[in-house]
Amino acid sequence: MSTNEHAAPVLELTDLSVSFSTRQGLIRAVDGLSLSVGRGEVHGIVGESGSGKSVAMYSLLGLTRDANASITGSVRFEGREILGSGDKAMQPIRGGEIGMIFQDPMTALTPVYTVGWQIVEQIRQHTDLTKAQAKARAIELLGEVGIPDAKRRVDSYPHEFSGGMRQRVVIAMAMSCNPKLLIADEPTTALDVTTQAQILDLMSRLRDVHNSSIVIITHDMGVIAEMADRVTVMYAGRPIEAGPELDVVRHPRHPYTWGLLGAVPRIGERSERLATIAGNVMSPLDVPVGCAFAPRCAYVMDECAARPPWSDGDHRSACWLSDTQRVALRRKES
Amino acid sequence: MSDEVLLRATDVVKSFPIRGGKLGTKKVATAVNGVSLDIFKGETLGIVGESGCGKSTLARCLVQLMPVTSGTVSFKGEVLTGRSRRQLRDTRRDMQLVFQDPYASLNPRRTVGDIVADPMRINKMGTDAVINARVADLFKTVGLDPSYVQRYPHEFSGGQRQRVGIARALSLNPSLVVADEPVSALDVSVQAQVLNLMSDLQDEFGLTYLFIAHDLGVVRHVSDRVGVMYLGQLVELADADALYDEPLHPYTNALLSAVPQLNDGTEVPRERIVLSGDVPDPADRPSGCPFNPRCPSATDQCRTEVPVLLEIRPKRFVACHHPLTF
Ligand SMILES: Nc1ncnc2c1ncn2[C@@H]1O[C@H](COP(=O)(O)OP(=O)(O)OP(=O)(O)O)[C@@H](O)[C@H]1O
Ligand SMILES: Nc1ncnc2c1ncn2[C@@H]1O[C@H](COP(=O)(O)OP(=O)(O)OP(=O)(O)O)[C@@H](O)[C@H]1O
Ligand SMILES: [Mg+2]
Ligand SMILES: [Mg+2]
Repeated sequence: MSTNEHAAPVLELTDLSVSFSTRQGLIRAVDGLSLSVGRGEVHGIVGESGSGKSVAMYSLLGLTRDANASITGSVRFEGREILGSGDKAMQPIRGGEIGMIFQDPMTALTPVYTVGWQIVEQIRQHTDLTKAQAKARAIELLGEVGIPDAKRRVDSYPHEFSGGMRQRVVIAMAMSCNPKLLIADEPTTALDVTTQAQILDLMSRLRDVHNSSIVIITHDMGVIAEMADRVTVMYAGRPIEAGPELDVVRHPRHPYTWGLLGAVPRIGERSERLATIAGNVMSPLDVPVGCAFAPRCAYVMDECAARPPWSDGDHRSACWLSDTQRVALRRKES
Repeated sequence: MSDEVLLRATDVVKSFPIRGGKLGTKKVATAVNGVSLDIFKGETLGIVGESGCGKSTLARCLVQLMPVTSGTVSFKGEVLTGRSRRQLRDTRRDMQLVFQDPYASLNPRRTVGDIVADPMRINKMGTDAVINARVADLFKTVGLDPSYVQRYPHEFSGGQRQRVGIARALSLNPSLVVADEPVSALDVSVQAQVLNLMSDLQDEFGLTYLFIAHDLGVVRHVSDRVGVMYLGQLVELADADALYDEPLHPYTNALLSAVPQLNDGTEVPRERIVLSGDVPDPADRPSGCPFNPRCPSATDQCRTEVPVLLEIRPKRFVACHHPLTF
């Protein structure tokens, strides 16, 4: 739980929207995302593949390079508006005050330099450590993310590392300057459970020691359980449910969240077929004007033709079901 | 699953020279250290293990994308290792790899439609119309909108790219699909769709899978048998249920205990076994059992004698001097 909940949030997104105009039409990759992350708080984002999680993170950092993208809304970091600030203003923030772990480790790594060189450069850009000090720090960081024989491996090239090792190099880089905010997009997808536990530990330590805030995007509900204080669930570019982690996981309100939690394969059991959410993944070109989940929702009603409002309170959702309907439906299901 | 062996690996070793450290000192990292296994026709063999333990390297050696340092791989009874690219051409079509990295494995300058169509064009699988129809089918099968074919990989999310990779691997109707973390970037519901699809294809076409994943829940669901790798070696191999319910190798046990649990109150909390000791280094293997420096039950014998993978019970293989329950 956040230590000082009433202090100003470290990161505040208000109505962030990102769309791409393509030959086939307009794609609303992010459609009105609002969330706020307090100091020392871990905010988890989950949602369907293609629901706009990565695009939202890229655009809040000003890293959307696509000329056909249009971005609106507001992004405040430490109280300052940073959306549209331009590379010159963002350079010292990115990699310094805000650490980033991207889903694709190779966007952060250059194949032609050794991993050590890349970490050293990153450190030297944001601190006044000497080259030797930065190299020592790089070796220490690689050791912390579990790269064996870090002293030697610091001189390896990215292609000489396994998938998970590359991901860990990027994590080491993102943590190198003890950022105030760490944005981690699927930081442990390529990792086995033991290595994952080590990385999650390291992230928790960053939070505990430096009171850093973390935004973690993952499709692993186990990771959410372990790390997140609060969760936002996204569907088709929109937030559909948000609140304290335990509330969302134990008392999910949105039928999409019900399906999401129901589809998690557990190691303790084995069934012939995994539960899925019925219906096809929706094309981002024809998102309904009303509730985006309506075409796949088992409980669709007439109201769903209009977009449901984002409810108030600590545990919010965007769904037309009333609380009584919801309770009755959940009881019937189980 | 039949008892016909589709692919057989015998004592496969792969090492890489590694750079760095003091000048002039050359070291090798042995990423795969003597793996022998059979993959039976129609089965799904899951492979799990720590990051860096050699899973992807083994996968590449098996499908001949990388020459082995020693050992042999045979497929449908024919030895593949040591053959030329040209000699391997027909076999390659029959064994496809779904790459671990959905970003690096798609050519950024081809549309995703072309990426899936190219292998069929090269292998002259039919007229343009036939191939295009098949591309559209494959897209639907993996849960992508067929209207996407004209788009480029950078316009796709991580999970969408992963599905393009799966569609490409399936396009040539291979008998063996080696899938290296094929669903790691997918949310659970799309993941379930893709996994159900893979199992449907298996039923329909008798496909065989080697399935590498770090999600132990997923592996249990899809696999008939599961192999556990540690530092380039296979340390345990058994039917999936047996392995999960009663792991014999202490490493398997530790791995299973580390799976994060959901907070929804439906699971009994597990005790997590934390592995102490250094992370294993393929360039500096311990003597004896590769796991001995981190093993809670290691003895002197484990520090000197390398355990071999033995069938200590019917269909249960383990490489350990002191298996857990015996
Ligand atoms: N440059 C682009 N041009 C057009 N569409 C794009 C572009 N980049 C992303 N998209 C689309 O925007 C949507 C959101 O993509 P995003 O990468 O944010 O998904 P995600 O939630 O991160 O998914 P995943 O879990 O699979 O990584 C997708 O439908 C994707 O195809
Ligand atoms: N081209 C290479 N040159 C040098 N070393 C390599 C090369 N490719 C792999 N290695 C090393 O071999 C070992 C095994 O790598 P591999 O990619 O097979 O691991 P993995 O089990 O697939 O791991 P992950 O789960 O992280 O993907 C690692 O220590 C890696 O650094
Ligand atoms: Mg993403
Ligand atoms: Mg790998």
